Amino acid sequence: MNSTAWLQVLASGLLMGLVYGLVAVGLSLIFGLMDVVNFAHGEFLMLAMYAAFGFFAFAHLDPVLALPLVAAVMFGVGALAYAGVVRHALRFKANAGMVQIFATFGLATMIQGAAQYLFTPDYRSIKGSWFDGRTLEVGGVFLPSAQVYAAAVSVLAFAGLYLLMTRTDFGRALEATREDKGAVALVGIDSNRVFTLGWGLGAALVGVAGAVLATFYYIHPQVGASFALIAYVTVALGGFGSVFGALAAGVIVGVVEAGTAALLPPALKALGVYLLYLVVLFVRPQGLFGKLG
Amino acid sequence: MINRRDTLLGLAGLAGALASARAQSTASGTEVVIGAIYPLSGPTAQVGADAKHAFDSALDVINNATNLDLPTAKNAGLAGLGGAKVRVVYADHQADPQKGRAEAERLITQDKVAAIVGCFHSSVSATVSATCERYGVPFVCADSSSPSLHRRNLKFFFRTAAHDEMFSEAMFNFMDALKAKGQKIGSVGLFFEDTIFGTDSSTVQRKLASERGYKLACDIKYRNSSPSLTAEVQQVKSANPDVLMPSSYTTDAILLVKTMAEMGYKPRSIMAQAAGFVEEPTLDAVGDKLNGMITRASFSVDLGDKRASAHAVNEKFKARAGRDLNDQTSRQFTALLVLADAIDRARSLDGQKIRDALAATDIPGDKTIMPWSRVKFGADGQNTFANPVLIQYVGTRFVTVYPFEVAAGAAQWPMNA
Repeated sequence: MNSTAWLQVLASGLLMGLVYGLVAVGLSLIFGLMDVVNFAHGEFLMLAMYAAFGFFAFAHLDPVLALPLVAAVMFGVGALAYAGVVRHALRFKANAGMVQIFATFGLATMIQGAAQYLFTPDYRSIKGSWFDGRTLEVGGVFLPSAQVYAAAVSVLAFAGLYLLMTRTDFGRALEATREDKGAVALVGIDSNRVFTLGWGLGAALVGVAGAVLATFYYIHPQVGASFALIAYVTVALGGFGSVFGALAAGVIVGVVEAGTAALLPPALKALGVYLLYLVVLFVRPQGLFGKLG
Repeated sequence: MINRRDTLLGLAGLAGALASARAQSTASGTEVVIGAIYPLSGPTAQVGADAKHAFDSALDVINNATNLDLPTAKNAGLAGLGGAKVRVVYADHQADPQKGRAEAERLITQDKVAAIVGCFHSSVSATVSATCERYGVPFVCADSSSPSLHRRNLKFFFRTAAHDEMFSEAMFNFMDALKAKGQKIGSVGLFFEDTIFGTDSSTVQRKLASERGYKLACDIKYRNSSPSLTAEVQQVKSANPDVLMPSSYTTDAILLVKTMAEMGYKPRSIMAQAAGFVEEPTLDAVGDKLNGMITRASFSVDLGDKRASAHAVNEKFKARAGRDLNDQTSRQFTALLVLADAIDRARSLDGQKIRDALAATDIPGDKTIMPWSRVKFGADGQNTFANPVLIQYVGTRFVTVYPFEVAAGAAQWPMNA
């Protein structure tokens, strides 16, 4: 492969990596807030993609325009998942970790089954969206417009998240609740409400990811699985709970994956990512940007 | 005191009693139960949903009296078993060979199925057929195409359709013929998924390419259901083979075609190992980029003109599924009919007797909906008369282009000049 081909691999990895980061950040946010790993994260992504498809098919709304609506729908789904399932699972104090795993895993299975029943297992894709089939070419490197758009949305979403976390009362309440759930109760913050909103925010972020992915990726009830595994590795690599670790790790995963696929037989392309993860686990077990303890 | 010998004798007696009880219940019973193991959930669930429609269409033919010229069609139910009706019970393997094995065991021991059909994924057909062999229950492989499946000396394995060696050979025969007509085809590029379907398919194609003097421009094994195939496509693009030969299931087929278009790569020609490339969702999503693609097939709607029953069966299927019969569903339909015909002739639900009846099967091609010359199994259980065809996607439909004697017209070659 020549240098243009390598630039192509790097650019593709970077674009995909930004999307991975966006897919993963909601997971990291929820974990950071309340130490719960949401095993239904991939299913949230799938629901978001179906929501984008629904707006396109029934309201003829381009996924670009439907993005805020999808995020809003997913905010509701996330808040509902917390209020309806996770909150109750958290009440069990004995073997709490297992209960949370089974609760969110059960939620995942249920959402998947419901999606297959309601939406049928057919593969859908959004045809004729604004970015469909357009490609930018820069010096022999091809950048699919839909992926450039997705990467740009990812950067904007992270910027927005940064402002939200640092400049608003809600963000500070979120941060404070992460630090010490007991103490915030003393100053009058309802931790239950913060958790509900936190789940809503986490799901809304994966909603944004789903709305941009729907512009270029096929949609079916199991589509979440392809991305969920990468999201877990991304979150673990970036540091559990670290929001911006997810961004950095997403980019690293994307580039390493593309690079491995170019160097080794592509069937082994996950190898590079997992090797890197193993190294980080040995050298910095809390992840690149995670805090110890 | 009960010693080990008595226990064994007792167990043997019990097994014998159970076996005869089962045989009795089947002789007087009015129902024949057949197991179908398919992906009903998971990334290939659509295949399972369509298989159900195909089997329902077949049951329609088997259980009702029709005037179609197909096996078991004349009278309602199976005449050999006093008009017994056939029922299909489904199990979900989720594309997982181990789940398939467990489900086969459950169908055999709990549901007492007389035989099993399946399983789309070659990897699952491998474990399911091994389980069937152990229990002495016939397995009719409807739609898995790995050549290794019939080379395991299994006595209860039967495959009605062609396998990838036959398919790939047809592809290379076709390319040889094009070369003889003056087309320049120097290199082929293999692009295959990493389970038994893709790897077996590539093994055959690699061998044929070297035997027939085609250069391997690229030989890429990729991870199935990947979120991105960009780096993989980059390698194909750099190699730019004269003919790209992909072996992929639906999700990867969609992603591959999309990614190639995004990277500004138009393969000169595509010769696909069916699977994902003949599925309606792929053609819906990226069909506009596949104009001129050639794929191997066991069936094509335009072939229906040559088989009296094909149109009628296609209508039955279409009324249920809302789409035409394709490569997969036509094979599923045919497999169930062939199996029902064997049970009819066996006049019994005994595994061994059904097996012997299957082995004695000899159905002329014009009594099927397939372009095959007949259904007759070799000692290894493979139907050696399942002639493969090549079809080309033109506009919005498939046209048969090879063998030339059944072709509807000359192939458009290359796909992208």
